[in-house]
Amino acid sequence: MDASVAMYVAQGIHGLAYGMILFLVASGLTLIFGMMGVLNLAHAAFFMLSAYFGYQMLAWTGSFWLALLVAPVLTAVFGILMERFLLKKVHAFGHMGELILTVGVSLIVLDGVKAVWGTESLPLKMPPILEGLVQIGGMQYPIYRLFIIAMALMLLAILSLVLYKTRLGMVVRAAVSDAEMVNALGINVPLVFMCVFGVGTWMAGVAGVAIAPILTVFPGLADQMGMDAFVVVVVGGFGSLGGAFLVSIIGGLISSYGVQFLSQYAAVLMFVFMAVALAIKPMGLFGERE
Amino acid sequence: MKTMKRLLAVTIFLSLMGLLLASAVPAEEMKPKATFDFNKFPDMSDFDPNQPVEPGGDTIKIAIVASFSGPAAAVGEIYYACVAWAAHTINKQGGLMVDGKKKMVQVFKADGQSKPDVTKKVTERMILQENVDFLWGTNGSHLQKVINQVADKYKKISVNAASLSDELQEGQDFSRYSFMTTFSTEQIGRTAAYYYGQVRKKEKKFYILCQDYLFGHSMAEAFKKGIKEYYPEAEIVGEDYHKLFLTDFAPYLTKIKASGAEVVYTGDWIPDAANLLKQARQMGITLPFVDIFMNEPRFLVEVGIEGTKGLVNIGQYGIGNPAFRNEEQIKYHKAWQNARTKWKAPYDTVLYTHPSGNIGAYITSVYWLLSVVERAASTDPDKIIKVWEDDVYQGPSGNVYKMRACDHKQIGLLTVQEYVPPEEQKQSYNIPPYYWFKDCSNAGPVHEVPIEKNLPKADPTLCK
Amino acid sequence: MNKKTKSLLWIAGALFLLIYPRLFGIYYANIVVTFAVYALFASSLNLLLGFTGLLSFGHAMYFGTGAYGTALALTHIPGLPLIPAVLAGLLASLVLALCIAPLVVRVSGNAFAMMHMAFGQLMFVLALKLRDVTGGEDGIGGFDIPPFSIPGVISLDMTDPILFYYFAMTVIIGSLWLLWFFTKTPFGQIMVAVRDNAKRVDYLGYRVPHTKAVVYVIAGCFAGVAGSIYALFQNLVAAYDAYGILTSFVPVMMTMVGGVGQFFGPIYGAAIFGLIDEFTTRFTDRVELVLGLVLVLVIMYAPYGFAGFITKMRLRWAARKAA
Repeated sequence: MDASVAMYVAQGIHGLAYGMILFLVASGLTLIFGMMGVLNLAHAAFFMLSAYFGYQMLAWTGSFWLALLVAPVLTAVFGILMERFLLKKVHAFGHMGELILTVGVSLIVLDGVKAVWGTESLPLKMPPILEGLVQIGGMQYPIYRLFIIAMALMLLAILSLVLYKTRLGMVVRAAVSDAEMVNALGINVPLVFMCVFGVGTWMAGVAGVAIAPILTVFPGLADQMGMDAFVVVVVGGFGSLGGAFLVSIIGGLISSYGVQFLSQYAAVLMFVFMAVALAIKPMGLFGERE
Repeated sequence: MKTMKRLLAVTIFLSLMGLLLASAVPAEEMKPKATFDFNKFPDMSDFDPNQPVEPGGDTIKIAIVASFSGPAAAVGEIYYACVAWAAHTINKQGGLMVDGKKKMVQVFKADGQSKPDVTKKVTERMILQENVDFLWGTNGSHLQKVINQVADKYKKISVNAASLSDELQEGQDFSRYSFMTTFSTEQIGRTAAYYYGQVRKKEKKFYILCQDYLFGHSMAEAFKKGIKEYYPEAEIVGEDYHKLFLTDFAPYLTKIKASGAEVVYTGDWIPDAANLLKQARQMGITLPFVDIFMNEPRFLVEVGIEGTKGLVNIGQYGIGNPAFRNEEQIKYHKAWQNARTKWKAPYDTVLYTHPSGNIGAYITSVYWLLSVVERAASTDPDKIIKVWEDDVYQGPSGNVYKMRACDHKQIGLLTVQEYVPPEEQKQSYNIPPYYWFKDCSNAGPVHEVPIEKNLPKADPTLCK
Repeated sequence: MNKKTKSLLWIAGALFLLIYPRLFGIYYANIVVTFAVYALFASSLNLLLGFTGLLSFGHAMYFGTGAYGTALALTHIPGLPLIPAVLAGLLASLVLALCIAPLVVRVSGNAFAMMHMAFGQLMFVLALKLRDVTGGEDGIGGFDIPPFSIPGVISLDMTDPILFYYFAMTVIIGSLWLLWFFTKTPFGQIMVAVRDNAKRVDYLGYRVPHTKAVVYVIAGCFAGVAGSIYALFQNLVAAYDAYGILTSFVPVMMTMVGGVGQFFGPIYGAAIFGLIDEFTTRFTDRVELVLGLVLVLVIMYAPYGFAGFITKMRLRWAARKAA
């Protein structure tokens, strides 16, 4: 492959890889919102919490895979606890209450991780098998980034299958459109919601552990990632998994090709895209009318 | 005849030497007026930043204005350990004679939360409520600017030990109450260029990658200026400015790789510096970085010996090799390491292994301040200014710093450290265990860049 | 409480504010100015949120634009007097509000909140990027603060913190009074009706988007005034303080904690936040933890905020008295 072509291709794959990480974080956020109407501002904090859990698991067991498996589950448990004991109680006071509550929780998590793990940047090493580079058509590419792309695609596939092809998914979707009716049919709707919340935070947790080897684990991790994920959800349309997926990829590509061609304005491009998209479609590209 | 010739040769040689000495102006000018006194250095084994001994009564008060909460709280912790260490040194000696009274040094934490408005508020509180004598800060030129402004307003001394932007001590922003006790962007950029153009003379293609704000742009400007000055045949093959706290460096690194650069010059600090290096190595990019903050041991260890080999770090604390030239310096170094064995979180990490590098520079700045206080025998700002201007101080590392009177900037020699694997670090770390860090590359060959080659920018309206 | 005691209380309050800086000194005077700026900022947001039911995650846009407007005017126009400098900030916010209003008045709920976040963040990254104009992270600072002067009558040095306190408090209390007055006008009543039942307002023949637009622009202007005073007070405007996401969140949280939909809610909220900040930063590094706990506890146990809590207590007291 010609060197400059290789560069453009590499930028494309970088965009995809970053887009996939965005998607992992954003999918949980959009799922929770779509199903339950809760805008979870603590989502990014859970993402960070999971990275810390992952660091700890790796430190204890030495296994990245165990960390990837356990940390998101632990995070999901925290998410479920928050849903069960806090969020549910304030549901009666509408969106505003939920917003304030989740901001409060995210502040507590932020200070909590500092109390437990300190303020330093902690390393989370990738497993040796994913280290190194692979040859693609005469171009070298880090295996780990390809692994992230593959994992995100797999999760998307499983998630869509469950949601659209199983009975469980049907119940979830039905509960979203008319919770009372589904409840009357004898299905435990609060339980369904709790599960959805758990799955949503679990996704953020997976993203947290997955991204940690590329970044450092430190108390600012949530801020670093949170805003980008939020943009994806907003532009994709709240609650739209497909929208989040598409916009994640667009966002990833904008950021990598933006650096390549319009380096000066790379940081602004995503927000310009968001502002334009929302000015045209206020509910996001795939959002439904309220 | 032969003797005549010989005599002539000797005369020529001597006069040449004289000329050389004369051109290295500062020799006389840089003669220390005060030196860190190892003889008075007390037993510091009881020092613990977790349980600081707070002196009561009438004290010399220093407020550290920095982030003690929020994502950047690590910065405040490092500052605190350093300032408290220096204060403890003096207190164990019985304090300083100030305004006719023996006074201890008391350290305050002022949490500016990395926000300009909060920084202003806490700085005012320190002055108006706690009656502090000195403000000591901080990371971020925008925050240091606020501290300097408040200091100027209430006529208190502000010590800038961590904001590197030359602009802080220039034009409108200059205040006679603020002193910059750190190297500056201009010094760093020119030192890097000097090293590559006049010392190393090897790589010719450079790429500039800095953070997209005042500091990053100043760093880049300084390097470009230095290249013009010291290495005109070199080429800047590209420059980029990325947003702060960037997550994905891959697009920039791909561009750098395609540009054919041989060295990447960066002013990034943690976490950007860490992520940049990590992601570069993960992508198989082995280019050396010339940097100032890519020296935090924790992530260097993570990247490993191989990945950190060839990094070039510019520092202000030490002097050339070897790092330890006498028993007293070794004793001082060991005193820190001995005390530190008892420290608990957050001070129990590898970051605090050596009282040198950034930590050494922060500590030295406080020693210098307190030495000025001792000689002024007062905390009165005007008396302090009088002593500090044109003062020359030798710190524990043996490096000598001068406070330029016209704009209150620190001048001194800088070092360029080439990172090598542990087994080669002996040339620098010349005491057991003969390496700085076991699991990463670190300073091996160290080159001094003399003062006259790295002088910081001088605002012509201030420095005539 | 009858009218007489009420007005007596008001007079006592005004007198207290008047002698306050003499009693407590510069530091506490500055704290009150900060509180007052946020009280006005949050009150302007409450006009949208509490009275019209529009939640904005980008209200910092107007605060920041007001601040930059004043700072830029003072930097670039030599000899600009004080009041026109404040008006410059107001005008900047007004123009921005007029540009954005047509885009946002037709949506509500989450779309409204998110669009504001989008525009707010766009302003933020632009402020960071256009360093030549805004100074980026470092911002614009050190501009001359003109004295408050009526030619031939008086000239007060505004760099004196105590004198500035009087100026800032006068402007802010005046603005708050205007806001309060506005909610009591017939138009203000329509505004509340839009929140409660927009359709009915529509049927009654009032045009909902127009009503919203007017409220929106007014809210933007008052946020601009708050920003302008803030710029004068800090003598510095930087991107993070002006447009950061936190600057948009803080007034929302203040309003919620103080009591949404009540005129004094955001003022209580600003006071509570000020107190929390003052105490926590003195005694602990765990600022976020305390703030987080307060938010969670408030929303769990006092969801109508401090104002709601007072109303409840008053009702209980009245009930007991009646019994």
